[in-house]
Amino acid sequence: MTDAVTASRPGQMPQRSPLKSVLLHAALIAASFAMLYPILWMLSGSLRPQDELFGSTSLIPSSLDLGGYIRGWTGLQVSFGRFFWNSFVISVLATVGNVMGCSLAAFAFARLRFGGRNFWFALMLGTLMLPYHVVLIPQYILFLELGWVNTPLPLIVPKYLATDAFFIFLMVQFFRGIPRELDEAAVMDGCSPFRIYWKIMLPLSLPVLATAAIFSFIWTWDDFFGPLIYLNDINTYTVQLGLRSFVDSTGSSDWTALFAMSNLSLVPVFLFFLFFQRLLIEGIATTGMKR
Amino acid sequence: MSVMLQRRAVLTAGLAAFSLAALGGGRAFAQAIRLRMLWWGSQERADRTNKAIEAYKKIKPDLTIAGEFAGWSDYWPRLATQVAGRNAPDLIQMDYRYIFEYARRGALAPLDDYLGKGLNIADFGTMNIDSGRVDGKLYGINLGVNSSALMFDGAAWEKTGATPPSQVKTWEEFAENTAKFGTNKPKPGYYATADASGLEPALECWLRQQGKSLYTPDGKIGYDAADAGKWFAMWAKMRESGGCVPADIQALDQLNIETNALTTGKAATAFAHSNQFVGYQALNKAKLSLAAYPRISADSVSGHYLKPSMLLSVAKDSKGIADAVGFIDFLVATPEGVDILGVERGVPASSSMRDQLATKLDGVSKSMVQFIADITPGVGDLPPAPPPGAGEFAFVLKRIAEEVAFKRITPEEGGSRLVQDADNVIKRK
Amino acid sequence: MTLYAGSIAEERRAASLPKRTGLKRIFDRNIHAYLFLLPWLIGFFGLTLGPALVSLYLSFTNYDLLQSPDWVGAANYVRIATSDPKFAAAMQVTFTYVLLSVPLKLAFALLVALAFNRGIKGLTLYRAIFYLPSLLGSSVAIAVLWRQLFASDGLINMLLWRAFGYEGPSWISNPDYSIYTLVILSVWQFGSPMIIFLAGLRQIPQDMYEAAEIDGAGKLRQFLRITLPLLTPVIFFNAVIQTIDAFKAFTPAFIISEGTGGPINSTLFYTLYLYQEAFGFFRMGYASALAWILVIIISLFTAFSFLSAKYWVHYDD
Repeated sequence: MTDAVTASRPGQMPQRSPLKSVLLHAALIAASFAMLYPILWMLSGSLRPQDELFGSTSLIPSSLDLGGYIRGWTGLQVSFGRFFWNSFVISVLATVGNVMGCSLAAFAFARLRFGGRNFWFALMLGTLMLPYHVVLIPQYILFLELGWVNTPLPLIVPKYLATDAFFIFLMVQFFRGIPRELDEAAVMDGCSPFRIYWKIMLPLSLPVLATAAIFSFIWTWDDFFGPLIYLNDINTYTVQLGLRSFVDSTGSSDWTALFAMSNLSLVPVFLFFLFFQRLLIEGIATTGMKR
Repeated sequence: MSVMLQRRAVLTAGLAAFSLAALGGGRAFAQAIRLRMLWWGSQERADRTNKAIEAYKKIKPDLTIAGEFAGWSDYWPRLATQVAGRNAPDLIQMDYRYIFEYARRGALAPLDDYLGKGLNIADFGTMNIDSGRVDGKLYGINLGVNSSALMFDGAAWEKTGATPPSQVKTWEEFAENTAKFGTNKPKPGYYATADASGLEPALECWLRQQGKSLYTPDGKIGYDAADAGKWFAMWAKMRESGGCVPADIQALDQLNIETNALTTGKAATAFAHSNQFVGYQALNKAKLSLAAYPRISADSVSGHYLKPSMLLSVAKDSKGIADAVGFIDFLVATPEGVDILGVERGVPASSSMRDQLATKLDGVSKSMVQFIADITPGVGDLPPAPPPGAGEFAFVLKRIAEEVAFKRITPEEGGSRLVQDADNVIKRK
Repeated sequence: MTLYAGSIAEERRAASLPKRTGLKRIFDRNIHAYLFLLPWLIGFFGLTLGPALVSLYLSFTNYDLLQSPDWVGAANYVRIATSDPKFAAAMQVTFTYVLLSVPLKLAFALLVALAFNRGIKGLTLYRAIFYLPSLLGSSVAIAVLWRQLFASDGLINMLLWRAFGYEGPSWISNPDYSIYTLVILSVWQFGSPMIIFLAGLRQIPQDMYEAAEIDGAGKLRQFLRITLPLLTPVIFFNAVIQTIDAFKAFTPAFIISEGTGGPINSTLFYTLYLYQEAFGFFRMGYASALAWILVIIISLFTAFSFLSAKYWVHYDD
C-alpha cells in the first residue's frame, strides 16, 4: 500500500537524507507510543488480577491470566459472539444507509440549483445543533407508535433518511471541490442528474465516501445511548451494551472481563478502518486520472 | 406533545378499562400473561434473577416474565424514557432515593391491598415495610436490608498503632486516631480515611445522632448553618492533621466502588453501604471489615437506620399487577426465591428468610448479614420523607464540601451556604 | 444571510451561462433536486422536525416526564437568564473547552495530515496508529485510563518528577486544572479531522503541484498557493463541525465525575447540566429551554463562520 502512495505522487516523494529519515521515524515512533499507550494499558488490564487494576500505572501485570477473556466471552447469559453479530449487522446496514442517503442529499445541495436551497440547507445544519437528549423522549414515543421499539429499526432506518446532517455537510464540502466542468460537460451531453451523480460524482469522491463509511461504521459501533434506549432484550444487545453489563457501579463488577472484551471490540472497527483506508488511497489514483 | 401524551394515556387507560370490563376483572389475560421486569446490576444479579424467573415459571406456567437489565447510570434514562412513553416495565427495581420521585408522579401502583393477600411480608418488621412507603402508601417491596457502614483495612490501621474504627466510640476519637494513622502512615500518599464530608448518608447519620435530621416531617431543613459548619469543620480538621485524604484525592471519587480512595489504595477506610461489602472486597487485596459509624458521644444513638438497598415496584399501568405481586412474594417471602437471590441485593428483610439463608452463605456475605444483625437493636426510626426536589441535595452537598476542602470557602461559610442552597433546591418546583 | 460560502460568485457564474431556462426547465430542475432530497426530506419531517418542535413546546412548560406538561410561558427562560448560577458555571466550562480544544485539535490534525501526505514509509501503519485513540471514543476504559494518567500518582506526575523533580497536583481532580485534562483528551483524539484533512489533501489534483514545480515554486510557496487555498473548504468544514461538537460535548465529563460535573462544577459541560436536569431531576421542560439556548448560541457561531467563509473559503465551482 505504501508503494501505491509513492507511485501515485512522484512529485511529492522527498529526497530525504538517511539521517533526516531516521529522525522523522524516531519522532513518529515516539508519537505512536503515546497513541498506543491506552491500548497497551487495556491489554495489560485484561490480563492482570482485578484487585491490581485501580492502583497501578505500570504496563506489566504481576501475573498473567487469560480468564478475563473466557469469562467475558461466555460470562453473560448470551455469548459475546451474539453481540458482535448484532453490532456488525446494525453497523453495516447503518453505514450503507448513511452513505446512500447522505450522498443523495449532498449532491442536491452541492450541485443542483433549486428554489429554497439555502433555506433547506440552513435547516439541515440546524439539525446538527439540537442536543440529542431533549428530542429523545418524543422520538421514543414516535418509534413506539411505529412498533419499532425493541427492534434495531430505530438505529438503522433513520440513516437511510439521511438524518445525520454531519455526513451531508461533509459530502457537500467535498462534492463542491470537484470541478464543475465535468458535470457541465455531461449536461451538454444530455446526461440526467442521476447519471451525473452515479457516474461522475460518486466515483470521483471515493475518498470522502470512504471517510463517511469509516466514520459511520465506527460511530454506530461505538454508540451506546441509542441501543440502550431502543434495545431491551439481551439477545438484541450490541457490543457496547454488552460491555456495560460487566460494570455495575453499585455492586460487584468484572473489570478484567470488561477490559478483555473492550480489546476484542476494537478489532472489528480497526479492521474496518484498515480496509477502508485502502479506498482513501485508491481514491487518489482515481482523482489523479481525472484531468 | 401534551395532546400526544394525553391521547396515549387515554388510549392506554381506555384499553385497559375496556378489557377489564369485557373480561370481568383483573385477571383479564390470565391465560397468557407476559410481564416485563427491569433492574440495574451486574451479570451476577442477572443470573440470579433469571434463575428465579425460571423457577417461578414452574410454579406458574402461564406467566412469562421477560427480564431486562442495565448498569446503574444507564438504568435511569432508560426507565424514565420508557415510563414517559407509557411503555413502563411491569416490575421495576427501585432505588430508595428515586421511589419518591416515581411514586409521587403517579408512575407506580400502590400495593397496600395485597398485604396479607398474596404478599406475605408481615415478618419484615414495620421499618422494612415502611421504607417502601411514600406518603403513607406502599409503593415498593424491600429487596434487601442495607445501612450505612464503614469498610476498612484493619491490618493497615493496626500497623500504625491507631485504634481501628470498629473499636472507637466517638467522632472525636475517630479523628484523633486518623491523625495518629497520619503520623505513622506506612507510605506517603496513604491516609486513614476517605473524606465523607460531601456524602449525604454520612451527614444524615451524624445529624441523627444529635436528634436532628436532613428534613423535618413538614418538609423543611432539619438543621441550621451552625450544624453544617461544625460538620465541615470536623472534616477540615481531619484533613489538616493528615488523617483524611486531601481534597484532590477525594475528588477522584465518583461515588462508586472502583474509584473510592480505599479501592485505589489512598485510604484505609471507606464510607459506604453494607450491601457493597462483597463488591469492595472483590476489588481490594487486603481483608476488609465492617463497622458502624462513630457517634457524636459515647452514649448517643447510633444514627443508623435500615433502608432498602433496593425495592421492587409495580408500574401503575401494568396489566398484571396481581401477577407481579405474586412474583415479588416468591422473591422475598419463599425459601426457594430467597435462596436463589441470596444476599446479592442485600440482606433479606424477612427475619425467618434471613435465618434460613444465613447457614448457606460464604464468609464475606456472612459478615454482611452479621453487620445488619449487630446494628439492628440500635437503629432508629426511618427519617421523614424528603420533600420534592430533595434528590438534588446530594449534588449540592458534594459541591459545597469540595469548595470547603479546596479552601475556596471556610467551613462556616460552607455551613451557611449549604443551608441556603438546600433551601433553594426544595423550594423549586 | 447567504448560507453558501462563495455562492455569490456562483450565482454570477450562473447568470453568465447562456439562458436555457424556461418555466419547464426550472420545474425540471426543481423536481430533480427534490427527488434527490426526498429521503432527507422524509427523515427531516418524519423523524427530526416533530421531536424538535415538541422540545420547543416543552421548553415553555414544566414537564417531569411522568405527568403531562404544564404551560408556564417563558418562566424557564427567565430563570436561565436571571437566577441560575449553574447555567453560568456550565457556560464558562463549555466556552473554555470550545475555545481551547477546537483550535488545538484542528492544528494538530492538520499538521499530522500534512506530514502523512508526503509519502512516508509505513504510512498506512502510522495513520492507523494515530487514529487508534479516536476509535476508543469515550469508553469506560478511557475513563479509568485518564485517571491513571492524570491523578496525583499518575504517569504524568511520575514523568514530571523524574524529568524536573516537580511534584504535580492531581490534575484531573483539581478544579483549577480538570477541564484542561479533558481538552488534552479531545486533542489526543484528533483522528476524525485528520482523516477528513487527508481526504481533502487527496482531492487536490497532482498536476497543480507539477505545474508549480515547473514554474520553480518552492515547497512553502506550493503550500501557501495551492494546498492551503484548496483545502479551505475542508478546514472550514472541520472548524464548523468541531465547534458544534465541542459545544455539545457530553461524555468526556463522565470521565472525571461520572456525570456530576465536579469537582466544584469545574467539568459541568453544558449538555451534562442539561442531562442532569432532564433525567436526574425530572425537569425536561427546563432542560429543553437550556437546549434551545444552546441552539441559539451554536447558530450564532455557525452563522458567523458562514459569513466569514465568503472571505477565505475557496470553492472550485
